[in-house]
Amino acid sequence: MSFEKFIFYIFSLVLIFAATMVITRRNPVHAVLFLVLAFFNAAGLWMLLEAEFLALVLVLVYVGAVMVLFLFVVMMLDVDVAEMRAGFMKNLPVGLLIGAAMIIELLMVVGPKYFGLDKFAAPVKHAADFSNTEALGMLLYTDYLYPFEIAAVILLVAIIAAISLTLRRRPDRKYIDISKQLAAKKADRLRVVKMESEK
Amino acid sequence: MIALSDYLIVGAILFSLSVVGIFINRKSVIVLLMCIELMLLAVNINFVAFSAYLNDMTGQVFVFFILTVAAAEAAIGLAILVVLFRNRRTINVQDLDLLKG
Amino acid sequence: MEFDNSQLMTMLPEIVMLTGALLVLLVDLMVRDSDRMWPYALTLGTLLAAFAAAVSVGGGSSEIILGGNYVRDAMGDSLKGALLLIAIPLFIYAREGLRKMDEWRTEYLTLGLFSILGMMIMISANGFIALYLGLELLTLSLYALVAYCRDSSKGAEAAMKYFVLGALASGLLLYGISMIYGATGKIDFPGIMQQIAADNTGDNTIFVFGMVFVVIGIAFKFGAVPFHMWMPDVYQGSSTPVTLLIGSLPKIAAVAIALRVLAGAMESLHQDWYMMLVILAILSMALGNIVAIAQQNIKRMLAYSTISHVGFIFLGILSGTDEGYRAAMFYAVVYALMAVGAFGILIALDRKGVVVDQLHQLKGLNDRHPWLALTMLLIMFSMAGVPPTVGFWAKLFVLEAVVSIDMWWLAVIAVFFSIIGAFYYIRVVKFMYFDKPIDDEPVVVGGAAQTMLAVNGLAVLLFGLFPVLVFGLMKL
Repeated sequence: MSFEKFIFYIFSLVLIFAATMVITRRNPVHAVLFLVLAFFNAAGLWMLLEAEFLALVLVLVYVGAVMVLFLFVVMMLDVDVAEMRAGFMKNLPVGLLIGAAMIIELLMVVGPKYFGLDKFAAPVKHAADFSNTEALGMLLYTDYLYPFEIAAVILLVAIIAAISLTLRRRPDRKYIDISKQLAAKKADRLRVVKMESEK
Repeated sequence: MIALSDYLIVGAILFSLSVVGIFINRKSVIVLLMCIELMLLAVNINFVAFSAYLNDMTGQVFVFFILTVAAAEAAIGLAILVVLFRNRRTINVQDLDLLKG
Repeated sequence: MEFDNSQLMTMLPEIVMLTGALLVLLVDLMVRDSDRMWPYALTLGTLLAAFAAAVSVGGGSSEIILGGNYVRDAMGDSLKGALLLIAIPLFIYAREGLRKMDEWRTEYLTLGLFSILGMMIMISANGFIALYLGLELLTLSLYALVAYCRDSSKGAEAAMKYFVLGALASGLLLYGISMIYGATGKIDFPGIMQQIAADNTGDNTIFVFGMVFVVIGIAFKFGAVPFHMWMPDVYQGSSTPVTLLIGSLPKIAAVAIALRVLAGAMESLHQDWYMMLVILAILSMALGNIVAIAQQNIKRMLAYSTISHVGFIFLGILSGTDEGYRAAMFYAVVYALMAVGAFGILIALDRKGVVVDQLHQLKGLNDRHPWLALTMLLIMFSMAGVPPTVGFWAKLFVLEAVVSIDMWWLAVIAVFFSIIGAFYYIRVVKFMYFDKPIDDEPVVVGGAAQTMLAVNGLAVLLFGLFPVLVFGLMKL
């Protein structure tokens, strides 16, 4: 077994183990942490496939931002752990049955019969000075400019949606509007009242 | 040498695990969201592997977009979850029973 | 890649839409206006401008631009035109409904415009990347809109269900796309079509495998049985103005992607996908029409009715002929027109604090507001497929397409279920005309919505008398 193959098996086995833990852990915080482990190992597999840029993005953006967001929400919502997995054992047999059927069907298709080394030769390794990021960038900003722009719009929609769903204007807040303060004039505040002097 | 089928098998196992996860965790929305993330990861592994073995960068471009969309999707999904929790004080799917025919 | 600025002219409708949506977003920040007239007027202006742009750049032979990601052709022109025109009454009704609910905020307009932009991107997608991104732009906007009324538990619950099942559908679709990419090495539709056609190994297992996942993904988005479970809950749980959007226009975009993927990229696999569509169509027509009878909630009833209409749309697609594809496009456009009208009437009946979504609330509508009752009558007849309304022609054209490929048994099944379906549409008419009203409050409708509803109802009748007005515009 070559070293490369050894690495591949390590990453794959840990990845599958982590994924199994994600779907079976009772505590959602543990599940999120196992998901982080899964993403790290997937990034390792992508490195083997020489997709360096995506591997880094997966770790930086996915683990760094999205998973932290998950953790944040899980902790903020204070989920009742015991109650959550109540129906777990009941659904398990059906779930396993469906999973087994699905995996057999998938493996029949994606196995070596159609995608073995004789059909798809192993890719030629790129030279050390080949930049995966540059190659991806060249495509993204030329041929795939249009999808790139759409992706920008999608992110904008995500911002609008997340804010409009969760932002609440609290009526009891006590903040001070500075521009209002600066715009205040003497006439707004001070009223000079003429009074008859007391005799 | 590692064959393309090896990567695809990892993807397929991951994909099946995520479907099983959706079935057995029907009670808890937050784990459902994580299963969906796993499913997209399985798809991404497929794309990256095909991209390498076909020697064609398009697959990686697609993965780039899937990652972008998945991040946006996670943000909206978690926002909905927060709204749900504020309204119901629970995210148990079992308790989500207002809508029945 | 060849790029010059003239390519941008071709995608003028999308550019106008995006600019308009961003302007609406900004104007809302600038203009302090509790009635939100400015953003609203700007929204309608954007739709009209985009329609004008679509008409002006439309016509002529098809063009593929922007690195093969964008296609402008006759099918895209007709569907985009219909989409933008039907969007105008949609926003007019939505304003009426949201004002009655005290939920009239600009987010509806912005997210609504973005979802329409997503549909336009889907319609003119020439590859799986643009298709996927357009689809996500549409669904992400819709997820947020379903939870639009933040204090509604039902809305949040429906949004969560919609989100989980929608994301699952996207996952299945993507897995299918990845297999097709692996088998062909292409991601654009013409490229995939050539690769599949050029395949001479005689073993198309991988293509079919990928195709099955893609068809399931598309069926999920359409809401075809057995992938329909999200529809009734989402229709019922969203506020009516949001149901109005979800239940109408996305079907036009769904037909477009089904035609681009199945009739375009996977043309030579017709033998393999048409059987799947036959099963989906029969199940949808059967379950949709039968379960709808048992519903007391109008929105749920219309959800099941949508499911049955999806079955009819599939009949046109599965025929595999140009006439069938045109019939499916016609059906989707007509369906969108009818659905907008039907939900528009529910909105018109809403009052402050009273939401109309139960069937018995329609009782005696004729005594309370004869015009609305007449409009609803026309729309219900049209949905049931009674001549001379336009729904009759929609059903007739898809049946003709099925008969033309010698599947008359399928046409008989379709007719059988549409007769069952006629029952619950006609029950609505009976409630409106022959029952005593249970509620004597006068119906209050804004002038714009009332006029638009009358136009909507008359359009259903007019296009029924002259179906060629619409069908003639459905070109491939």
